[in-house]
Formats: sequence, structure tokens, C-alpha cells
Amino acid sequence: MPEAPSAMDRHSSDLSDPSDPSRELSDEELSTLFATDALPYLDQLYGTALRMTRSPADAEDLVQETYAKAFAAYRTFQQGTNLRAWLFRILRNTFINDYRKVQRQPRFQPTDELGDAQILDIETRSAGGSRSAEIEALELLGDDDVSAALAEIPEEFRTAVVLADVEGFSYREIADIMDSPVGTVMSRVHRGRKALRGLLDEYAKDQGLVGARGGEES
Amino acid sequence: MSCGRPHETPCSQVVASLSAYIDGEVGVEEYRLIAVHLTECPPCEHQRQEVRRVQALVARASASIATPEGLRARIQATVLSDTSHQRPGDDQE
Repeated sequence: MPEAPSAMDRHSSDLSDPSDPSRELSDEELSTLFATDALPYLDQLYGTALRMTRSPADAEDLVQETYAKAFAAYRTFQQGTNLRAWLFRILRNTFINDYRKVQRQPRFQPTDELGDAQILDIETRSAGGSRSAEIEALELLGDDDVSAALAEIPEEFRTAVVLADVEGFSYREIADIMDSPVGTVMSRVHRGRKALRGLLDEYAKDQGLVGARGGEES
Repeated sequence: MSCGRPHETPCSQVVASLSAYIDGEVGVEEYRLIAVHLTECPPCEHQRQEVRRVQALVARASASIATPEGLRARIQATVLSDTSHQRPGDDQE
């Protein structure tokens, strides 16, 4: 992280030549730049925040807080680097620090272990079933079913899948956003998708969609 | 699940790398090995299609999320107008 300019530097910049590219931006210029560059990511950040929190009200607060933190740190952001990934990293950190604790995770249990146990449970359940639904049967599920399945898998797996499949981030970028090794990201994306597949399979069976196209249980 | 035929790359290895393969996160040689395997192993190819389908469903479901009306305006009003937020040396963490 580059050294932040002092308040004195910022103050003196108000008197400097506006055409000098190296001068500090005024507060107004910084606001304009932030609005132009960072606000267009609002929809993406909100969508991911909603997946993380599973609550529209919490997602709204989380995004608002993310923008507040991002704006506060914007002077230290290096222009030309990955602004989108930087914003998502702030979003994830804010979620971990301010939201996850109060949502449901017991503080005494390491969240990674809890997530591993939960996903193992889903994997075991879906592996124990009969032959899986035809791929086409999954197409008949609604977006609400997919959202419900996403909500069932542990947050670190859910977020890794969303960052890969919705936002199209590379594993390296996801590793930076989630503060995890790339190998862990790879495993979370893989296991997250597998668990989703198992859950969607269950939903398809519950709704009688399996065999709807005549290819199941033969 | 396996098709029962011998492969240069075992099914277990291919299945473990399927997500990374689909995401373009494997090296050139591993990519080639998996691609060859998938052409000769229907069960593994089926699993590849399943992963692709799950990806598409997740993307489809997320595309329908609508950002609450007024959130953008609220952020502009509360965040961008509040210059007291800017404290040099602050970190986003």
C-alpha cells in the first residue's frame, strides 16, 4: 500500500496548478472520480452482497458501508490497478468483520472448519442418493431454487462460486479478494459447484422434475 | 463413476480438476490431457456438462437480482458528500 499523503499535502494542493498531473486531487475532484469509476460497480457489488448476507436489508447496508470504506481509502488506491477486485475485496472484508459474526457463526468455532463440515454433509447426502437427475431436469428449476441452493452452502464456498461464475474473476483475483491461497479457491469453487449440483438434484426430485423428460430411473 | 476403459489420465484426477479446467485455470499440458480424456470417457464428459449447467444456472439466477431503487442515490448522498470520511492513512481493512 503506498504511503498516504498527509493532510498538509492535500491542503497545499488546493493552491497548485490544476494542469499538473502529479498534484493531489481536491476533495471534489476525488468525489467525481470515485463516482465515475467506482459507482458503476454497484449492481455487481449488491448482487454479491445479497449472496453473502442472504438478506436484502443487510446487503444494502453492506454495500453502503463498502462504498464508504472505499471512498475513505480512495486516495491510497493506485489508479490503473484493478479497481473492481479492490472494491470486492473491501466488500468481503467488511462482510467478514461486521456481518458474518453477527449472522450465525459461533465465535468459538473456526469458520473454515464449520464450512468444511457443512459442505461435507451436503456432499455425503447427495452422494448417497439414487441416480442423479438428468442435466436437462435442472433447467426446469426456477431462479428461486438456485438462490435457495446457494443459500444452503457455506459462505466461503458460495462466495467463491459467485465470484467465479457470476463475476468472472480469475482464481488469483478471488484469492486476493478472499484472502486465501489459490489452491483453497480452486477447491472451494469445485466443491461449491458439486454441492450445488447435489442440492439442485434434490430439489428437482422433490418437485417431481426428475424423469419429466423420460430419461430417469431406467 | 467410470466408463471402465483405461485412460492415460485417471478419471479421479480429471474429475478433481474439472472446475479448474472449465475455468481455464490449468496448464497447457494438463488441459490437453483432460481434453483427450473427455473425448474418450462419457461419464467424465457428463460431469463436465453438469458443472457447466450449474455455472449457467448460478449466472442466470444472479442476473435477475435487482439493486434496490434509491441505493445509488443514497450512496451518492451519504458517502460522496461526506468529505470527513477522508483521513489520510486510513486503510480499507
